Amino acid sequence: MGIRDEIQLLRHGRDWRGRSTVPRSADPYVLDDGEREFPTDWARTRPGRVARSVLQRGLLKPVTWSQTRPVVEGVEYLENLRGPVVFVANHSSHLDAPLIVGSVPRRFADKLAVGAAADYFFDARWRAVASALFFNTFPVERHGQRRLRSLAVELLDEGWSLLLFPEGTRSEDGWMSAFKSGTAQLCVSRGVPVVPIAIRGAYAAMPRGRNWPVPGRPRIAVRYGRPLIPVEGEGFRELRERMMRAVARLNSEEDLGWYGALRADADDTLPLPTRRQTAGSQAVPPPGWRRIWESTRPLEDRRRRRVWTW
Amino acid sequence: MSRPGFVLSVDERTPPLLVHQGEGFRLERLPLGTNVIYPPDSLPGIRNLDAEIARAIHNPIGIEPLPELLKPGMRLTVVFDDLSLPLPPMQTPDVRQRVVEQVLELAARAGVDDVELIAANSLHRRMTPAELKRVVGERVFRSFFPDHLGNHDAEDRDNLVEIGKTEHGEVVELNRRAMESDLVVYVNITLTAMSGGPKSLSVGLASYRSLRHHHNVHTLRHSRSFNDPPNSAMHHSYERMKDLIGEHVKVFQIETTVNNDTFPSSMGFLNKREWEWNLADQAAYVAVKRGNELLPARARRKIWQSTLAPYGVTGVNAGVPSQVHPITLANVHRQQLTEVDGQADVAIFGLPYICPYNVNSIMNPILVMSLGLGYFFNLYKNKPIVRQGGTAIFYHPVPHEFHPVHHPSYIDFFDEILTESTDPVVLETKYEEQFATDPWYVQLYRKSYAYHGVHPFYMWYWGAHALEHLGEVIFVGGNRKTTARMGFKAASTLADALEIASHTVGRSPTITYQHTPPLVMADVR
Repeated sequence: MGIRDEIQLLRHGRDWRGRSTVPRSADPYVLDDGEREFPTDWARTRPGRVARSVLQRGLLKPVTWSQTRPVVEGVEYLENLRGPVVFVANHSSHLDAPLIVGSVPRRFADKLAVGAAADYFFDARWRAVASALFFNTFPVERHGQRRLRSLAVELLDEGWSLLLFPEGTRSEDGWMSAFKSGTAQLCVSRGVPVVPIAIRGAYAAMPRGRNWPVPGRPRIAVRYGRPLIPVEGEGFRELRERMMRAVARLNSEEDLGWYGALRADADDTLPLPTRRQTAGSQAVPPPGWRRIWESTRPLEDRRRRRVWTW
Repeated sequence: MSRPGFVLSVDERTPPLLVHQGEGFRLERLPLGTNVIYPPDSLPGIRNLDAEIARAIHNPIGIEPLPELLKPGMRLTVVFDDLSLPLPPMQTPDVRQRVVEQVLELAARAGVDDVELIAANSLHRRMTPAELKRVVGERVFRSFFPDHLGNHDAEDRDNLVEIGKTEHGEVVELNRRAMESDLVVYVNITLTAMSGGPKSLSVGLASYRSLRHHHNVHTLRHSRSFNDPPNSAMHHSYERMKDLIGEHVKVFQIETTVNNDTFPSSMGFLNKREWEWNLADQAAYVAVKRGNELLPARARRKIWQSTLAPYGVTGVNAGVPSQVHPITLANVHRQQLTEVDGQADVAIFGLPYICPYNVNSIMNPILVMSLGLGYFFNLYKNKPIVRQGGTAIFYHPVPHEFHPVHHPSYIDFFDEILTESTDPVVLETKYEEQFATDPWYVQLYRKSYAYHGVHPFYMWYWGAHALEHLGEVIFVGGNRKTTARMGFKAASTLADALEIASHTVGRSPTITYQHTPPLVMADVR
């Protein structure tokens, strides 16, 4: 065998660093010690905040706004809001966090922490560092097999507002799925206001699997709703229901308009995600490919048409 | 903690795997689904070995501490394993040297004058003075050679004594000096589960009259395997002899075990799992392989034979053989045992350049057979890794080469006896006696550096169990003439070998590759 063949055989299946793929049967079983908590405190120190502020305003927002065309509505509802709040939004794209961070009023943006999946954002060191630096992320346990000490309560107590995505994951098909209870429990127990946010068009712009928005500056609607304040004696289930309704209503404003969405809410015809789809429930979302078809439909361009074209 | 052994299932993510092939090695892409048995990672060696040896000598099992056994005016015989252990030879200082030095220091302090050191080489060739010096070290060699340090001579009638017969009528005839000593200290290295314990004295210092009771076809066919003493008829015979020896002489046995650091750091990739090779390992692989192929045959052999293993010692234990040996075996198993699920239709073995009988010598076709069908095939517990009637595929060039000084009887055995028959029983009944008593072979064994006349027969018997068990034996890259003489087949590639094997095991056989060396012993369930 010539040296060329020899090297070719040796290099088979190895990358440029000479590392081979590990045969499945040789993959070591790693015991999850539960202690792998990545420290994010540094991102909330003064230098961390300054760096983040520069990165968000100098890099993140210009890039996001140059690649997409966000339309932000309802920020005025936040005018009279003070202190820590919890922003909740539907989640269908990696664009969601930059869009919200770039559109919330500055007094919130400067003291905002984003809940990020511990198993996704905090499994590789570089990803943990990058997300903590850009978004001030803190790890959130989604599956609950490890009981990681939750930072959310601590952060609220320290005056940080939180951005949480109560669906727990990015949507597979662009449709909102049912909220998990954690956020509602947190808000009920601490008595903090919840600001619902709906994002439409982000899925069409950058769905799962893409790492850059589609070309052509797609329009994305970011709608803030009126803050929901947990009332005395309200349980977390009721609050979760209110949150879900609010986000769904904001979501359908794109199609029905503001008043139409209010009417649909009052008539109970909003397409609400439920954990169990009952046969009789109204406005059942369409199945299969039509969901993706609907959610990738480009948003209507509401810019003023040019009268004169030439 | 070092990782345990495991069985790899070859999938599309598996890189080509290393296979030893005589004085060389290659990468081979094994068929998907092939099971590959890997040994446990090398265990850490004992850091302060001298302290551990002292501890063992002062706290033996089932016998008084060595200092209490040493008296002025006594006859002390120190016996040690010959150069067939370990493989490859160990980097100096050899652990036997360290042990012997401590024993002799105690003996000197106790005022023992009559000390004799004997290499337990049985019917193996004598060790040269240089080889003896390597094993026992400069100080011991200078103090005792040539008058009181030497090889056991199994044909020196004056220095043999029959101490009796076992209840099975087995003659126990051993070295007279050792048997008439007040104390025998045996220093061994247990490389595989076969050696050590009762085997040390009853084989190492025996004569042909005594050895024929366990080194025969019947016993070896009922040793399944001979690396698993409880299931080995050969070891049952050793046990009976050991009891007799125990009644006759006081034996203080010091057993040592080594880890799996088989190759020096320059060839460190041979000790590693292939998917863990870094760029340096890959560069070393290409460099060593190419360099090895470009070298003239003599130089290549010289380099391979001068390879020394940086073994770490994993255990030193002393006491009476029957009580020390179980601890030693546990240490061997800790390093070598890997559990395997079920037998395969085809077993693959890569045969390396060395076996116990070609240290500083040439591996002739008979030794290849004994290494493959004897040693490697028998590296199992419970069941062979290949089913009854299955195929064994070995990688070795099987060159038609013999060392005329070391293996004279092998040449005649190969040229004259194997042409008559390859059936071990026929060979044993028709020709063994003739070779064993041939005065010229005896002369060469005693005065030159030749293996005993009967030794090639023993090598053939070593594979008797495998010959009976296997349906087909194929040598990849093997010399057609030599393999055909021994009754085996040769194939140029693995694909060809599997093609040949398809007549006995079908088109889609299950395959197991025993990835050794470093040594792994399969515990087949």
